Amino acid sequence: MRTFSSEFIISRRVFIGSAMVLVAAPILAGTTNTEKELLVISNSGQFFSAEHMTMLADIAEIMIPLSDTAGATDAHVIPVLDAMMLTWAVAGTKKQFLQLLVKLNEIAKASFQTHYLNLGKDKRVALVSHLDKRAFANQTSELSKSYRKLKKIIFHIYYTSEPANPDFMLIPGTYRGCVTQAELDTFNARGRVS
Amino acid sequence: MAQEYDVIVVGSGITGGWAAKEFTEKGFKTLVIERGRNVEHRGSEYTDMQAPWQIENRNLVPEDFDEQGRYQLIKQKGYFKGATKQFFADDKEHPYSYPDARPFKWVRSYQLGGRSVTWGRQSLRWGPKDFVANKKDGNGVPWPIGYEDLAPWYDYVESFIGVSANRDGLEDLPDGVFQKPWEMSCAEKVIAKNLRKAYSDRRLIIGRAANITEPTAEQMKLGRGQCQARAYCKRGCTFGGYFSSLSATLPAANNTGNLTLITNAIVERVDYDEKLGRASGVSIIDTLSKEKRSYKARVVFLCASALGSVQILLNSKSATFPNGIANSSGVVGRYIMDHFSGVLADGIVPGLDDKFATGRRPIATYIPNYRHENKDGVEFVRGYGFQATAQHRTKTPTHANKAGIGVDVKEVANQPGPWKFRAIMYGEMLPYFDNVASLHPTKTDQWGIPQLHIDARVRDNERKMIRQAAKDIGEILDVGGCVDINVNTTPEDRHIAIGDRIHEMGGACMGNDPNTSVLNKWAQAHDVDNLFVTDGACMSSCATQNPSLTYMAITVRAADYAAKLMQKGSL
Repeated sequence: MRTFSSEFIISRRVFIGSAMVLVAAPILAGTTNTEKELLVISNSGQFFSAEHMTMLADIAEIMIPLSDTAGATDAHVIPVLDAMMLTWAVAGTKKQFLQLLVKLNEIAKASFQTHYLNLGKDKRVALVSHLDKRAFANQTSELSKSYRKLKKIIFHIYYTSEPANPDFMLIPGTYRGCVTQAELDTFNARGRVS
Repeated sequence: MAQEYDVIVVGSGITGGWAAKEFTEKGFKTLVIERGRNVEHRGSEYTDMQAPWQIENRNLVPEDFDEQGRYQLIKQKGYFKGATKQFFADDKEHPYSYPDARPFKWVRSYQLGGRSVTWGRQSLRWGPKDFVANKKDGNGVPWPIGYEDLAPWYDYVESFIGVSANRDGLEDLPDGVFQKPWEMSCAEKVIAKNLRKAYSDRRLIIGRAANITEPTAEQMKLGRGQCQARAYCKRGCTFGGYFSSLSATLPAANNTGNLTLITNAIVERVDYDEKLGRASGVSIIDTLSKEKRSYKARVVFLCASALGSVQILLNSKSATFPNGIANSSGVVGRYIMDHFSGVLADGIVPGLDDKFATGRRPIATYIPNYRHENKDGVEFVRGYGFQATAQHRTKTPTHANKAGIGVDVKEVANQPGPWKFRAIMYGEMLPYFDNVASLHPTKTDQWGIPQLHIDARVRDNERKMIRQAAKDIGEILDVGGCVDINVNTTPEDRHIAIGDRIHEMGGACMGNDPNTSVLNKWAQAHDVDNLFVTDGACMSSCATQNPSLTYMAITVRAADYAAKLMQKGSL
């Protein structure tokens, strides 16, 4: 039996190579596969296919999981990313992200002889974690560049989301430069500095 | 047949708005010509009521800007975001020229209101020493006015725009007509207190912001309300909390019934009547149709930004002025200046771990220039100040750009970190005759107007300042109580892009001698009585203070002078 914690087969070919996958269409709905702890998106997005949306939503949630605070899924990171693929991303970025998903499947198959989405939660977490370490350790490869770019935009979308900013005040009213935690909590609860 | 007005004001930015207000309120039929599009105050282009998650593309600019080579000049700037991009001109669409080895940054806003929509709002008076500096050390052209000439006009401008500031009692940064100041953070207070104890000449003060904290009846009548501490000023302000042409001067001018405003009209040239020896008006190109039209007026005020006005002057050629109108001296385009930096510093303010800040203050703190005198054996003239801030505690970074995912990294992200004080040098660049803007001999823009070619650089005096400023700020942070101090300086051999501070000035300097200056003490062209230039082009030196307040004061003073001459029939 193959161990997966640190022995993924991310060959040089897989790490550096590239492939193009064409996708289509909109709308989001999902069901949870309890056995795999996987949110399965049933409909395609505006840019990503349902399968891609499922993979991306899973990757985003692994990166930023639900805890005492909202996770990436709660923050609608992937639906926002899907929309931004049409309004923000250039063709090169679209290609990068799609190729990254292809590579992720190749890594999963090379390591576990199966598709990423067929893996259990622990293996998916371990795979993405390993990819994360590898991508920052070796930043010259195309896979690294694509992964880091995806991670950066996932984090950006998450940390600009409403769930990630529960104390955000659109109209603070004024500025106070020296308050206690208790005062800060009061202002936050009030949604206004006054 | 050309349409006729009493006054034509070219540009609707911070000085154009003021000229419009002053002339219309004095009863003159005034035409304001803006090269950019119309923007409605509180209109759809304002994005200040959008939360971060409501902004298109989460405040990122579309990636294809980069692919298409658009906005390359400002793409890395913190102020250029998805929510603000509409208020900045695309340098690809509006090209200009500079030597390859010396890039010049010309940040522009081509829409109604100009850069008054996005300005930094720091409203600092110049002091008496600033107006005598050229004469004292022999650089540039001596100013034909002093602080006392402008003081009442500073009062007038501050009363209208609303400046929130502390009365600091500093000789070199005179107090004015102020509304309630913004509060310093506890970290800033610690540093300010320590500096006051240690130095007789160095102060940390709260910035002086054109954000109103105590709206006057006049301001409220224009629909302006108290600043709500959102610091979204560069998106436009629905509350009218900060001063801009859109929120204040243009509405005031419009209320008179004497204002005519046209947009999408580039002034190609000031027309000159050879027989009368006067400016007869301006010729414009409609940016959409490319149709050319002319407008006539008794008086022309150029308020098109320093370099914009220089470009118009140089392009206004006639038999009398083959090198551009009002350019018998050959000085038009000369003495281009900007503030320069070259020193960035930061340090941790220890302690205060149980204290926080909340709300978003729309202004930083400020260490005014303390080097007017050539003391401590320094080998340069003029001086520098520092824009600085420790407005909020830092936040721990996310792992967006480093290894690490999962609950652990999420839980440690965006947590309150230490108070960090950051400072950036703002130095006074000397007025150099050879820092020059000229018309490119072959390159034109899409309307056929010759591109401006700008060749400007810092020199030995500025490099010496950077060296001393680096020493000073390290000491200031240490004395102020900071630890873990970092001081970064621009290497001596690296070009410092002029224009980067967006305080470009000069090009049509004021002076008493028509042979060495373009404008007299009223910002009136020596050569052409009914032509005035009151934007940054008129500046004879650049001091260290943010200049917009001084531009405004010069504009209203010049408008008052011109209006009196017009009323007497002598203009």
